[in-house]
Amino acid sequence: MAGLLDGIRVFDLTLAVVGPWATKLLAQLGADVVKVGAPDGELLNFVPPYVGASQSSVFLDTNLNKRLVALDLHDEADHEAAWRLAERADVFVENMRPGAADRLGFSYEAVSARNPRIIYASACAYGRVGPMATQAGVDPLVQAFSGFASLNGPEGTAGEMNRYLVNIDITTGSMLVEAVLQALIARERTGRGQKIELEMLGASLALQGTRVAESLATGVAARPLGSASAVTAPHEAFRCADGVWLALGVEHEEQWRSLCAVIGPLGAELAGDGRFTTNPMRVANRAELAARLAELFRTEPYAAWEVVLRRAGVPCGRIHRFDELRHHAQAEANGWFCELDTPWGHLCVEGPPWQFSATPTEPIRLGGANGTHNAEVLTELGMGDHPAASFKADGGRPLRWTRRPEA
Amino acid sequence: MTGGAGVGAGGALEGFRVVEVGSGLCAATAAMRLGDAGADVIKVEPLGGDGSRRWASADVLADGADAPAFLAANRNKRALAVDLDRPEGWAVLRRLVAGADVLIEELGPGEAERRELTAGRTDLVHCAITAFGDHGPWAQHPASELVLQAAAEQPLSLGRPGEPPVRIGAEIAAVNTAIFASQAVTAALLHRLRTGEGQRVAVSRLGTLLHLRGILWSAQSDPDEWGGFHLDSYTRPVDDGYRTADGRIYFALRRASSEDYDNLMITLGLVDHLADERFGNFGRDAAPMGRRANDSREVWEEGFARFTTDELVQLLLDAGGDAVPFLDHLELAQHPQIAALGLLVDVARSDGSVQRDVAPAWRLSETPASIRRGAPFVGEHTDAVLTEAGYRPEELAALRAGGVIR
Repeated sequence: MAGLLDGIRVFDLTLAVVGPWATKLLAQLGADVVKVGAPDGELLNFVPPYVGASQSSVFLDTNLNKRLVALDLHDEADHEAAWRLAERADVFVENMRPGAADRLGFSYEAVSARNPRIIYASACAYGRVGPMATQAGVDPLVQAFSGFASLNGPEGTAGEMNRYLVNIDITTGSMLVEAVLQALIARERTGRGQKIELEMLGASLALQGTRVAESLATGVAARPLGSASAVTAPHEAFRCADGVWLALGVEHEEQWRSLCAVIGPLGAELAGDGRFTTNPMRVANRAELAARLAELFRTEPYAAWEVVLRRAGVPCGRIHRFDELRHHAQAEANGWFCELDTPWGHLCVEGPPWQFSATPTEPIRLGGANGTHNAEVLTELGMGDHPAASFKADGGRPLRWTRRPEA
Repeated sequence: MTGGAGVGAGGALEGFRVVEVGSGLCAATAAMRLGDAGADVIKVEPLGGDGSRRWASADVLADGADAPAFLAANRNKRALAVDLDRPEGWAVLRRLVAGADVLIEELGPGEAERRELTAGRTDLVHCAITAFGDHGPWAQHPASELVLQAAAEQPLSLGRPGEPPVRIGAEIAAVNTAIFASQAVTAALLHRLRTGEGQRVAVSRLGTLLHLRGILWSAQSDPDEWGGFHLDSYTRPVDDGYRTADGRIYFALRRASSEDYDNLMITLGLVDHLADERFGNFGRDAAPMGRRANDSREVWEEGFARFTTDELVQLLLDAGGDAVPFLDHLELAQHPQIAALGLLVDVARSDGSVQRDVAPAWRLSETPASIRRGAPFVGEHTDAVLTEAGYRPEELAALRAGGVIR
């Protein structure tokens, strides 16, 4: 069985996380992704922790399943090698600051002139027009600006960051993959390539689309509610007798009826209380409802509630941590983690986000260090005697990021 | 604004018909994303409409009205109402799927196959969305957005240890899964265009959330090694931006030069900290995400207190840094960058009512996304859709009289 994107070549001029996550997904769908990086690496190569002495775990993870080529795009001979990759590519992906790819000579106009079937995908932070067009941005800045952070935090606060700083990055990268796949469909039908633009700001807004609509429709900005849902109730965490927090998730009326049926006298009382008859009323009276449920849940340990609620079909659970998930039967049954041995040490990475019955995704494999595939790729391009073909990957780089600030 | 099978949409997926059978926001959002790209989407709901039509507070939602969240996840669709508690309802659904290119469902692991929705359809792209995956001991457990965020340890990146857990306010389990579902369907349609072969594609909401945290898994592969701002996300204190005279900002100093940095510190009145060991590497160690960010926040806020947010954003940009105001949705909606990009659009429903919504984020030069209709009312297109599926008027009348469709 062939992979979905067998025969699709991707010329990857990405860095950090947004673009690399997109091209990783394309590689796992079967595309041949060649990522071009600067010979002295990029910031991500220097983000700890490291696997062994020299390899950033973040870089290795973000660049799985690719072939990695180190080229100096300011050097004429290397630039020519990069052009060979651009000319034979089906898809070009970059996520530099607006204009940076153009300055390197790889504008949409230039690439599509030499390769009219190219699908040229660009991602940036705030878009290519408007007052912020020239600004660079990273996940936390976009979180703060786009209102994503304004929704997170204990009730009564004004919003805090998701401290896992790549949720918007990966969301943007995965939306870019969606668009590239759409463009491949269009090309299959019309024979023509096209240009795709996406920015983290738009992706973040789309990720919060239902919450943005709520704010704009009511004229009141949505605010943090701790663990509670703003639109369904009871849908929040309650502390049990053993100190474990029970995540309760009533989203549908039948779940509410089931909950009331299995929590004893309080259930009968709540079911008959006119303030809680429908979801909109429970949301409007959430504080009163939560107060009653909090009294109840603190009387028994978590495990007791889990059994009762789950049997009744009421969504519930607790916080799980990586170390209990990593070898959990549920994770193993669904392939959510993948253990890889690398030349530098062991690496556990995320599994693919989808499964296909007819066209299985590529087994997850290490891309490697920046420049691992220089000789292989340059030989394939008929440039085996190019100086870059002898680039030595993992040449004992210093562990601190030493790039000088730009003037 | 045309009806029918996406005619005139001009999107990449024009001409493909999608049947969506879900509940809540996940399948709805997945199907909407395909609709934004031009597909003809038919939403299948119970006779009373999906529960998410009422996902809002009674304080803001009129009796019988549809919630803003529902409208935001259901544009570019037609709606059919059918009772799936009755065998005749399943027969209607089977006939509908027989004429579709894509089925997106969250009926539960294996249920679509048991109900023979996909039988005999070798060219169907069947997207099964589950909460906890197709397999394993949790496969049949009921779930919710919070339950899934908790299962994927997301609350460990928010709030304070020992205090009540905090969730991500956005519906990330639903929406991020919808994006992966839309990818999987589109990829499978590409394969079908080339080979004629359909297939089953599967995504799960917990699998999605665990995928999203992959950088943390790789960073914890070797438990003896701990460092970097990703792993530090487990242990860092709450980060709610940096206070200014009139609000909050967030910033970075990635590109500041030595001279720019000196000038910035002079302007901020922080010249004493030029030699402060926390402010090494041209201040970047002390800036957000830097090694010393946690113990230098109060210094920055001392300097920022004399400036407004707008002034500080400009100062930091002039110094070669990046800076943005920390905004809520209403403030954001007024920001000129939103208008410049056209990220918010007015979407009209068939009754003329309008809601302001987030526009499709991608811009494809040749096959642009489009918004052709607002969210449908319950059963608004039942007759039209079933007529297209070959039902005769007397058959529709009988189904309606029997309470099978609305």
